[in-house]
Amino acid sequence: MRLRFQKWDIAVIAAILVMALAVFAAFLPREDAPAAYAEIYQDGKLLKTVMLSEDQEFTVTGRYTNTVTVCDGKIAVTHSDCPGGDCVSCGWLDGAGRSIVCLPNALEIRVLAGSGDVDFVVG
Amino acid sequence: MNKAKEESLCAIMLALALALSYMERLIPLQLVVPLPGIKLGLANIVTLVVLYTLKARYAFLILVPRCCFTAAFGGGATGFWFSLCGGLLALIAMILAKRATCFSVYGVSMIGAAAHNIGQILAAMVMMSSVYIGAYLPYLLLVAIVTGLLTGGICAGVLRVLPKALASMPGGKP
Repeated sequence: MRLRFQKWDIAVIAAILVMALAVFAAFLPREDAPAAYAEIYQDGKLLKTVMLSEDQEFTVTGRYTNTVTVCDGKIAVTHSDCPGGDCVSCGWLDGAGRSIVCLPNALEIRVLAGSGDVDFVVG
Repeated sequence: MNKAKEESLCAIMLALALALSYMERLIPLQLVVPLPGIKLGLANIVTLVVLYTLKARYAFLILVPRCCFTAAFGGGATGFWFSLCGGLLALIAMILAKRATCFSVYGVSMIGAAAHNIGQILAAMVMMSSVYIGAYLPYLLLVAIVTGLLTGGICAGVLRVLPKALASMPGGKP
């Protein structure tokens, strides 16, 4: 039974760091363009697409209720009755490629760049 | 160690794991690091101690009821799947890491913490049918190094005294 820190434990730290970096690189946003729209998913299904240029507020109801607010080109979950409230503490997103997730409500907001592919608002 | 002693030890360890995972919810780690599913992983101390003092199969026997009870005490059904997937992957990884013998309890603990996060994220990917949530994994892994070292240190302290204490109790040597 080894109870003292070994040099192999440093290898564990290094391996975890390398893994973290690799996953981070894999999820880097591919575009630097400012965010243009956001897709709202629940249970993996696309609920609606919202333009970030239009200020609005709506709620997504499921097991819990999330209030999503769009203001000044940014999007945030501004209120949620889910346990934890991580989605609210994520704050305002304005960069393309980022996302807010509310696990208890299975909600996911993906912020995306571009304009040509979305010129309508659903919902 | 006879069977009765092993089984009663298991029951105590399960109670301890439940108490620790409940206590952990009172520590607002999420205020410091606002990431979904982040926690200290105190219950993992119990899994690790069981792995080092009893047989690996007892660690499974403690893990599954722990996840059920934690869900029943307020974790909810989503929490159940996350902790079960994370817990199982962590346990398997820690059993393998311990067999490798080159890692200390610190290394095994960090491997467990990282595997727990990977399991949780995989469960979340399946549940949300989206890979986007994987973007949180790098941050969770960085935290896993710190929490893994912390729980590993607590484990090392427990393992310095527990085997001797167990051996001095009636029921035979562990």
